[in-house]
Amino acid sequence: MTGAGIICSIGRNKEEVWRAIEESRAGIGKLTRFPGETFPTDIAAEVEADIDALLPVSRREAKRMSRSDKLAIVAAKEAIEQAAVATDRAVVSTGTSTGGLVEGEEFFFRRLTRGVAPNSRVLQQPTSGPSDAVARVFNVGGGVISNATACASAGAAIGIAADYLRSHHADAAIAGGSDALCRLTYSGFNVLQAVDERPCAPFSSQRKGITLGEGAAYLVLERWDDAIARGAKPIAELCGYGATCDAHHPTAPHEEGRGAEAAMRGALSDARWNGNGVDYINAHGTGTLLNDSAETKAIVAAVGTGVPVSSSKSYFGHTLGASGAVEAVITILALAHQIAPPTLRLDDPAPDCALDYIPHTPRPMAMQAALSNTFGFGGSNVSLLFRRA
Amino acid sequence: MTRVAITAIGVVAPNAIGINAFRDLLDSGKSAFRVQDFVPKQFIAPMKLRRMNTLSRFGVAASRLAIDDRGSELPEGAGVAMGTAFGPVQTSVDYMQEYVEKGAALAPPQLFAESVANAAGSHAGIEFGLRGFNVTLTQRESSALAALMYAASQVNKGSVPAAIAGGVDEVSEIVVSVLDRIGALGRCSRPFDRHRDGMVMGEGGAALILEADAADAYAHVSGFGIARDRTSTISDWGDGVDDVVRAMRAAIDDAEITIDDIDAIYASANSSIRADRLEYRAIQTLFDNVPPVVATKGYFGEYAAGGALQLVAAALAIRDQKLHASLGFSEGEEAMRFTPTREAAPRKLRHVLVNSLSAGGGIVCAVLSA
Repeated sequence: MTGAGIICSIGRNKEEVWRAIEESRAGIGKLTRFPGETFPTDIAAEVEADIDALLPVSRREAKRMSRSDKLAIVAAKEAIEQAAVATDRAVVSTGTSTGGLVEGEEFFFRRLTRGVAPNSRVLQQPTSGPSDAVARVFNVGGGVISNATACASAGAAIGIAADYLRSHHADAAIAGGSDALCRLTYSGFNVLQAVDERPCAPFSSQRKGITLGEGAAYLVLERWDDAIARGAKPIAELCGYGATCDAHHPTAPHEEGRGAEAAMRGALSDARWNGNGVDYINAHGTGTLLNDSAETKAIVAAVGTGVPVSSSKSYFGHTLGASGAVEAVITILALAHQIAPPTLRLDDPAPDCALDYIPHTPRPMAMQAALSNTFGFGGSNVSLLFRRA
Repeated sequence: MTRVAITAIGVVAPNAIGINAFRDLLDSGKSAFRVQDFVPKQFIAPMKLRRMNTLSRFGVAASRLAIDDRGSELPEGAGVAMGTAFGPVQTSVDYMQEYVEKGAALAPPQLFAESVANAAGSHAGIEFGLRGFNVTLTQRESSALAALMYAASQVNKGSVPAAIAGGVDEVSEIVVSVLDRIGALGRCSRPFDRHRDGMVMGEGGAALILEADAADAYAHVSGFGIARDRTSTISDWGDGVDDVVRAMRAAIDDAEITIDDIDAIYASANSSIRADRLEYRAIQTLFDNVPPVVATKGYFGEYAAGGALQLVAAALAIRDQKLHASLGFSEGEEAMRFTPTREAAPRKLRHVLVNSLSAGGGIVCAVLSA
């Protein structure tokens, strides 16, 4: 991995995000994106930055993009600039859960109230949008691969890219995810009663659900030898990934974390590791009753009880389809800084969550390798294994 | 790449439920764009049916038909790669309708659960107990081929013992109205024809079972090439002939064969003015002697099963050693140097190139081999 870029509620780039992590500063506040609409809960982890000002495109071109497209471009730009990689033979691999759904909703509302709505709003709807937008802005010629595997999307995007590098179907990859807040998702998790009315508290006995967030992150991946040969400096190594399915329930995880455990084992086996030497796990840690309990069981089954675990969602909420990439970047930054990010607001760990979750403050520690977990609706699970460069 | 066998196929296609009915459809010379004679309860238990939208029903039924075609259940570790161009847009619309009528707090959770693009693939995983990877590729017109590529890569890698690769899409009012307003739709599907004026949207579901090389197979997946047309706009095709050529050549190289080994091309051609021109120019650029070209989207339109029906047609061609007739073509443009197949005919087919060009620039090409 030779480049990384990130944008979420706690920062517009790696430096800002990491500073917030080190200062234990969460980015969760009042929901402002949908004025005039009432939901059962009213907090979110929104990107407050003026995204348009960060875009390397004309205002005219920006008008045709969805918010998910724009977030993707901002994160991809940071990653590509750091890697200084040629994009003409690179592929873009993006995971997104909703793509331009928020623009689709605007189209829908306008059509409902006025009978017609501008096409420009709905052309941005497809989940292939962020990949296509990044590819277009950075003149990518190697191909585009989009997946919409709910909240596991970005993890899958990174795994797919890694495999296509190994099989030489791609020579470099810009892989990540992007998702903007939208009404359907905000309302949907509320009707599922999966949203905490207060900022989420993963692994806590007080936890009641997720906090919805938005963001994007991308990694630039190359075959290690190619990166060295062109004089690039790897910032971390993606050693392997595992992708599995609970085959259990459309929205709820398997109670024992069956698929999650298999995903972590898959990542280790992909990297030909025996499970020893994982120093830190960046958990999916959504803050729902079911996930945190099931994930804890899965972690214990996969690597035992001795590995510190934390949930970065306590900082920037659940960025849905982007979470696999956003949290991959956090994991890589943790390895680079040799500081494990904490789980905020963990005053009272739950009895069913009995691991070391690094409460409240960052912890300096020696880390060679770390897992980053990401799970989604439909029981899709992806676990990524990174090693310090 | 190491070859992967397509050992079984299930389709829920317009006017054709099951692979044998689909074979008959291709022989019939008739178009069908909507799935009409599909009875979901023949494939899915009533309690489960209530939880599934149209796409999930297409995906689970096609998978059931594929497993029946295989003759035995899939191993527990098998994976699922589903492709869909638009996903459950209709479910999102239905949800938002309830959101408007009842309020954000009272919309039905069941619709929300089904609004994710990977619902169909997930239901297939749940229904058949498949615990390998479960990923849904959404690369517009190339979605099914992108799904095939990922599934084949995982069988080759050994991370799963077998995989379902498939696609689902439905004709929904909102998608059709938007495609119509941007001028993408034509009066009828006439791939490569000089009078073509846009695509016709089709629907359905398909599932192909992939396994490591097996004796009895429809065909083998033997190579892939991907690229991107850097001249395309966000909702149309461009004129990046060299990029399409690059993808086709990469697929042929990946199959470790030469250009002369390609016995037929199952084209992406969907009756769009720019898309078909881009493809025929690319084919003529790469092939000095153009092999027989089959355009299948006159039968079932674009987006049928996420693009998977074209792929199934190519696999059947190899299985039956027979080329299909290109439906909807009568006369090409002057610049076009080849004529798509006019009639079905027996043909020795060792390697078939399958093209997929999507609006926005994505290109996925595959080689299927006997």
